Amino acid sequence: MTAVVSRPGGVGAASPVGRGPARRRRHRLADRPWSLWLALSYVAVLAVAALAPGFLAPSSPTAVDYAAALLPPSLEHPFGTDESGRDLYTRIVHGAADSLSIGLGAAALAIVCAIALGALAALGPRPIAALVDRVIEVLFAFPTLLLALLLIAITGPSATTQIIAVGLGSAPGYARMVRGQIRQAAGSGYVEAAVALGHGRARILRRHVLPNALRPLVAVAALAVGQSIVWASSLSFLGLGVAPPSPEWGALLDAGRPYVIQAGWLIVIPGLVIVALALAATSIGRHLQHRLESGARA
Amino acid sequence: MTRSSWARPAVRIVGNAVGVLVGAATAAFLAQTALPGDRATAILNIRAGQAELRTPEELAPITAEFGLDRPLWQQYADYLLGLVRGDLGTSYLQFRPVGAIIGEQLGATVVLAITAIAIAWMLMVVWIVATGGRGPRLTALGSLVDVTTAALPAYWLGIILLLVFALGLGWFPVLGDGTPLSLVLPALTLAIPLAGFLAQATRTEFERALEQPFALSARMRGQSDLGVRLGHVLRHASLPAISLSGWALGATLSGAVVVESIFSRPGIGQVLVSAVSSQDLPVVVGVVVLTAAFYVAANLLVDLASALVDPRQRAA
Amino acid sequence: MLTGALALTACAAPAATDTEVVDGGTIVYAHQQEPACVFGGWIEQAYLSYQVLDSLTSLEEDGTAVPWLAESWAESEDGLSWTFTLREDVNFTDGTPLDAQAVVTNIRHWTEGGGNSTANVWLSGYLADAIAVDERTLQVDLVAPYPRLGETLSQGYFGIQSPTALETRTQEENCAAPIGSGAFTVEEWRRGEEIVLARNDDYSSPPANAGHNGPAHVERVIWKFIADPTTRVAALQSGEVDAIYDVPAVQWASLENGDVELLRHVTKGRPHQLTFDAVDGPFTDERVRQAFAHSLDRETIVETVGRGVIPFEGNGGVSAATPGYSEAAAARYDFDPDLAVDLLEEAGWVLPADADAGERAVREKEGERLEVTLPYGAGSIISTDGAAILQGVKEQAEQVGFSVELVPVPQSEFFSGAYSTPEERDIAAGYWTAVTSGILWVNWRPSTAERPNYANQSFLADEELAELILAANSARDVDEQNRLYEQAQEHIADRAYSIGLFARLSTLAVGPRLQGVWQEHAQGGPVFHDAQLLG
Repeated sequence: MTAVVSRPGGVGAASPVGRGPARRRRHRLADRPWSLWLALSYVAVLAVAALAPGFLAPSSPTAVDYAAALLPPSLEHPFGTDESGRDLYTRIVHGAADSLSIGLGAAALAIVCAIALGALAALGPRPIAALVDRVIEVLFAFPTLLLALLLIAITGPSATTQIIAVGLGSAPGYARMVRGQIRQAAGSGYVEAAVALGHGRARILRRHVLPNALRPLVAVAALAVGQSIVWASSLSFLGLGVAPPSPEWGALLDAGRPYVIQAGWLIVIPGLVIVALALAATSIGRHLQHRLESGARA
Repeated sequence: MTRSSWARPAVRIVGNAVGVLVGAATAAFLAQTALPGDRATAILNIRAGQAELRTPEELAPITAEFGLDRPLWQQYADYLLGLVRGDLGTSYLQFRPVGAIIGEQLGATVVLAITAIAIAWMLMVVWIVATGGRGPRLTALGSLVDVTTAALPAYWLGIILLLVFALGLGWFPVLGDGTPLSLVLPALTLAIPLAGFLAQATRTEFERALEQPFALSARMRGQSDLGVRLGHVLRHASLPAISLSGWALGATLSGAVVVESIFSRPGIGQVLVSAVSSQDLPVVVGVVVLTAAFYVAANLLVDLASALVDPRQRAA
Repeated sequence: MLTGALALTACAAPAATDTEVVDGGTIVYAHQQEPACVFGGWIEQAYLSYQVLDSLTSLEEDGTAVPWLAESWAESEDGLSWTFTLREDVNFTDGTPLDAQAVVTNIRHWTEGGGNSTANVWLSGYLADAIAVDERTLQVDLVAPYPRLGETLSQGYFGIQSPTALETRTQEENCAAPIGSGAFTVEEWRRGEEIVLARNDDYSSPPANAGHNGPAHVERVIWKFIADPTTRVAALQSGEVDAIYDVPAVQWASLENGDVELLRHVTKGRPHQLTFDAVDGPFTDERVRQAFAHSLDRETIVETVGRGVIPFEGNGGVSAATPGYSEAAAARYDFDPDLAVDLLEEAGWVLPADADAGERAVREKEGERLEVTLPYGAGSIISTDGAAILQGVKEQAEQVGFSVELVPVPQSEFFSGAYSTPEERDIAAGYWTAVTSGILWVNWRPSTAERPNYANQSFLADEELAELILAANSARDVDEQNRLYEQAQEHIADRAYSIGLFARLSTLAVGPRLQGVWQEHAQGGPVFHDAQLLG
């Protein structure tokens, strides 16, 4: 068994992280190759959208066309248009860079903080480890969104704040997991063997403990990106994140709210894009997890 | 979890509770001192509804009211002492004690959170019992639904539910007016993704348990399939979901922030969002401290529930 | 008792058909924004305090003041002293009587006690003293003549409270439930949810333009706060509420076809407009300001986003509903991107040599890019429709080589002083409701180091403009006054200190169960005193 976190690291849409032995069954949906391929191709499309939006949608995401306001999806505008006649498809494609970089940034921040805190708590000198242990527990007691809102209350909303708020908000959950992984790795047989062989502490740490403890994080990172994007878009939706006319996906949802009855596509489509990403991240994360576990057993 | 005695975990839990509160109070205090600009000016401008510079004479009463001229450590000590007495400070905007503001709104949110968790459990149990261990096709469908529902962001699901069932079909009221009917859509918004999470946690355990000797022997004693599933297997499989429920409470409180805004429901989520956007920090901090305390209490209950359900823990 | 004849000019209720008017009952009304206190200097507070507090005067539909708490008033020969005669036998809801001393206490509360910053802005520079001559006679002395004083006092910022309540109760009590002599009292405030207004059964002092004398018809008004416009409209359609405030433009047409009564009031005073920072940055050059104005097809933006409901307003000084409005100032800048480009070239802002033909380029001058910052109060001052309009502004200005950064600023950040200096912003967006063109003095009083005017968003000290407005403010003849106000607006328009975008609307939608609601004419807030429910 991998280190079991009894509660998922972040909160929100993607799957809870690492739960028990169950994942090994072959008929798990996430283990089916077609779901992985679907997820990977979706992520690939989004990556293209983020890196070269002009390739998928050549026109400007902020170009207004007042003659074409609030048009439903059609051949010319596959996702419809908004109140200023901006093409929703173009806006979603161009919003990928913002949305993904906020998600990636927040996930990276969360995991870096988690590794630092988790390692300190598991390996640090006793008083520090105990203190950090407590800090992790205290922070874990705050729901992610509340921690994020507290930070935004102090600094005011912006893209940077959003990254920091979501990253720090979800870090405690991952930190708990890292702590568990390291403790487990440090107590395992091969570390004892290495100690018996007289290897140095630093070497044992570098060669045995950290690689084994951090490997599962690769899978967690995939899940974290999906979750962070959902969190970040929640903040934008509440008007506490990136602001319009930025085509960031959460901001698109917020901007579409007043038109939800007359132009439902402004809400439904960006929402589907986010849900699909969260699903894809879950699927990829689970595959990685499965891969790593079977690799570790082999 | 409790394995040997109740004393150690109890100490740990109380220790955590104290740690959470002191930690939150400290974060709170630091947050308030970190507010950009002069605090007294900000408070005065927020109250007057104007953005302008202020003279020292204008600021003097505010400085005195909030004791802003004392040294920081003294303000911190007073803040902590206030907390011990249950005093969370005074709102910059409403001139009222934060405790009273939150107290008024807490009930609505707690009702929402508990209803959502209850519905989530019902949905999960029905879904798992119906689809768990019934061959690869149904299992695949079951787990597809688990994963998909768990990925639905509350803000989006809420709008869709509102759009279809309140605005479109008119089955439910549009406003959160306090009637049980108005609770349905907000609670479902939180419950559906949560049910997905719980089902993910339960499904594999459930399938394993179905193949366990105790399930087989119950079948052999002539119990119906449903009886076995509900009576033996589910009980065995629900442990991970129970331990998730403490976390779920925190998650529903997070979700309440969004859901209350969509469904125009009163509650601490609404209080929090408006306090965040007006930088009414005492209120923000009060909500955060309270939620943390709430969370600690919920986890205590979860530990108890796990002990009751898990025979190994009871025997110990 | 009312002595003067009541002018029953208020909107007559539509004739009831087969339904009967019921006695009493509770109106459920859904408003948008929840203020921190009932009374204060923000229009949201004026709407609310109007239900609870009476003012000295009330505004008639034609823009003149009619009696309310003041039964009559007279201006001295030199215009420097006003005498108000108060109505007899009016009591505040705490039982204390309304007398001249009470009004004096209120005036001091607004001006010296920080009780209402907006009321203070109007009176400052003009008010010399307020004296209670006898119980019913109030004398207001001015520094300079101000013939539109009666009209000005009709705004909700000048609601009269019980001095006893002001002096003996806590700040918290006066914030949540001010004591006035109005048609309703604040019974309960469930924060974040609603305010319950209860009928004042002893009400005897409705304004002269009210529909009826005596207490309100309904027993209670539940004033809900529902921020989301879609939810408000849906709640009205499903009958969960009887009336709503602020109908979004996109919903207007769909409501028009139903049995809902739609009311629309174009507020007077400063419309939604853009003011350029004329003391720092690129907009110090008049040609750059004019180029910005010419780059915009403001009318099309407003017509599209506003879906024909929100009126375009080209005048940056005052809205078309305001007395003394200048058509010429409104029509000063048409959509002419070529002219905008010429003006920018002339001012030395040129396209960089390496600019791609297809790419949108930002003009440069002496190595500096033509980047401008436009912060706006998101969600509070600028609605979602307004934000969409500003996005159109940004898009069109960028076509001629500006780079516009839109910054949505939360209300609180504005209050702690963000974007308040010339260095921090280049364009300010906003409105300021008023009942006369006297708003020009509030917004354009020269801002100097000794006496800064934070409401002057151009940071200018244009003395010529100031003289025009001051002369207009004190002009005794209405035509003369309007002519001077028009000149002032044209002065602003010619120099492109400010350009208009759209008129600020106050809209109400009233469900079929309710009749007799009208919008008061000073600020367009709902009046429930005459409203009746149908059974």
